[in-house]
Amino acid sequence: MEKRLIKKDALAGIAKKVAEEFLVWAPVKKEDNVLFEPLQKDGEPFFAYLNSKNAPKNVFFPHTEALMKFTRTEKGMVFSSDENKADSSVLFGVRPCDTHSFALLDKLFDQEKYQDAYYITKRQNTTVISIACVKPPYASCFCTSVDGAPVASEGADILLTDIGSDYLVELITPKGEKLAKYFGDAKADAAAETRKNEIAAKAIEAIKSKIPAHEVKPILDVNFDNPFWNTIHGKCLACGTCTYMCPTCHCFDISDEVKGGDGVRIRSWDSCMFPMFTKETSGHNPRVSQKERWRQRTMHKFKYYVDNFNAIACVGCGRCVMSCPVNIDIRKVVEDISKL
Amino acid sequence: MQNPYIPYPVVVDKIITEVDTKDIKTFRFKFVNPEDEAKYAYIPGQFGELSIYGKGESPIGIASSPTQKGYVEFTVQKAGVVTQALHEMEEGTLMGLRGPLGNSWPLEFLEGKNIVIVGGGFAFTTLRSLINYMIFGDNRKRFGNITVIYGARNPGLLLYKDELIEWQKRSDLNINVTVDKGDATWTGREGFVPAVCKDVAPSKENAVAVICGPPVMIRFTLPVFFDLGFSKENIITSLEMRMKCGIGKCGRCNVGNKYVCKDGPVFSLAELDKLTPEY
Repeated sequence: MEKRLIKKDALAGIAKKVAEEFLVWAPVKKEDNVLFEPLQKDGEPFFAYLNSKNAPKNVFFPHTEALMKFTRTEKGMVFSSDENKADSSVLFGVRPCDTHSFALLDKLFDQEKYQDAYYITKRQNTTVISIACVKPPYASCFCTSVDGAPVASEGADILLTDIGSDYLVELITPKGEKLAKYFGDAKADAAAETRKNEIAAKAIEAIKSKIPAHEVKPILDVNFDNPFWNTIHGKCLACGTCTYMCPTCHCFDISDEVKGGDGVRIRSWDSCMFPMFTKETSGHNPRVSQKERWRQRTMHKFKYYVDNFNAIACVGCGRCVMSCPVNIDIRKVVEDISKL
Repeated sequence: MQNPYIPYPVVVDKIITEVDTKDIKTFRFKFVNPEDEAKYAYIPGQFGELSIYGKGESPIGIASSPTQKGYVEFTVQKAGVVTQALHEMEEGTLMGLRGPLGNSWPLEFLEGKNIVIVGGGFAFTTLRSLINYMIFGDNRKRFGNITVIYGARNPGLLLYKDELIEWQKRSDLNINVTVDKGDATWTGREGFVPAVCKDVAPSKENAVAVICGPPVMIRFTLPVFFDLGFSKENIITSLEMRMKCGIGKCGRCNVGNKYVCKDGPVFSLAELDKLTPEY
């Protein structure tokens, strides 16, 4: 693997340079929040951020995207165009928990059978540059409990680690190597490597929040009917914020919109927290209350995804913990399950 | 990479009103591009997404048999936005069709066995596909005795009336059609499906029961088959769930670690026992 060094203050300039050739998604300050947005010509990337308010999954799985267009004819509405397309782009500066989420979403959207064309096209056309968490940003971070780490490269094409005055640049994948020209020609020496390893070890130690994420799988296997499930949802507002903030939540709706003679079929994020999510035309609803919906969300992340893909569908970013308006804490839920 | 969300263009070739209440119709579709028919190779028990641009999609079981060439049929009850629009369509209208989706009736497992088919009301559609498949030409030899028990609330609500008459003429089919309550012209059997099952009492020997119907029918029919000695492995059914993508991504039909759209809709009772009861 090719490794280089760049001066820390050179990073924003590199991002702007890359933006001359590609669409660059970079952390941008928006009022009090930092969000990943396409870097505008006069825009300034904000790399001194903790983590973005929203998960960057929207780059591959937009909140709303057109699937196809259709148009009216004398014989009815007919298909007119497949909207599966994506510009060559660079997602610049994602945290390792979020790149981990891309690897998890790949397992679902890029299966051998039933490939999700829209997700895959965007994923293939995007190079992911990650910036390691030298200091874990939040007290609620728990990536080390769910197979992640503050300095980790899963799901990334390039990993940048702050080793003092420089960033160590690791060009991990062939896709990452294609951007080599932007990262100067200073080769990293063994000392830089050693420094990075020390920093990585320290960062892991700094993650104090821990959950028994692996331990709960066999417990969930046999506790679908446990009265414990009555204890979580009491204050849940069914607002769906946890699922919208979550980097691995991927449920969606498909709907049609028509204006005049033309229309578009779109997909948009949906949430297992919403009562309508499973409600059938007949009126029957298999998940009848918020209790069942909370059980579904928990089971899906810590049991079903493990059953199907041998991976926990949580990256420990803590966004749901910080965003829940009524302070339901997934860490506490998992902790409680481990004691059943 | 084939984009699984893009429907095949189809034309509504024929519409058959199945029932007196006129809210269940069979729609026969022909593919606009003849080569798409081969791509839409399906097995009885699978379903398709009927795609009406501007309204949405509706997952419906395939009612025709793959032995019927040149078209695909779906029998649809008018219920929601999409099926309402479908019912208002005229022959010659263009629309879309996705699929075939889901697993299917387990044909290999059924081969060489005696087959008992139990259907109630409007849930007879994919069973009709299976029957027409099994009795087509040489296919018939691959299956043992075929017993069909099919019931509706009244004679006017029976689906596929002409076919029922044809089937009853065959000596290699045991057809039992029943209605909850007959009318002035009804000369056939009266009684609920579970009672007729008890009466017909199909043998469990080398037999598989394939059961589809409203929940209340299933609830009272299953004990009859347990009493007859059928094991849960040898009772097969098909689930319905709210669906969107049909390919195990959108999360709507997730039951336990399965997705009804891609791991189902067909399950044996033994398999259903392992699922969480969220359907």
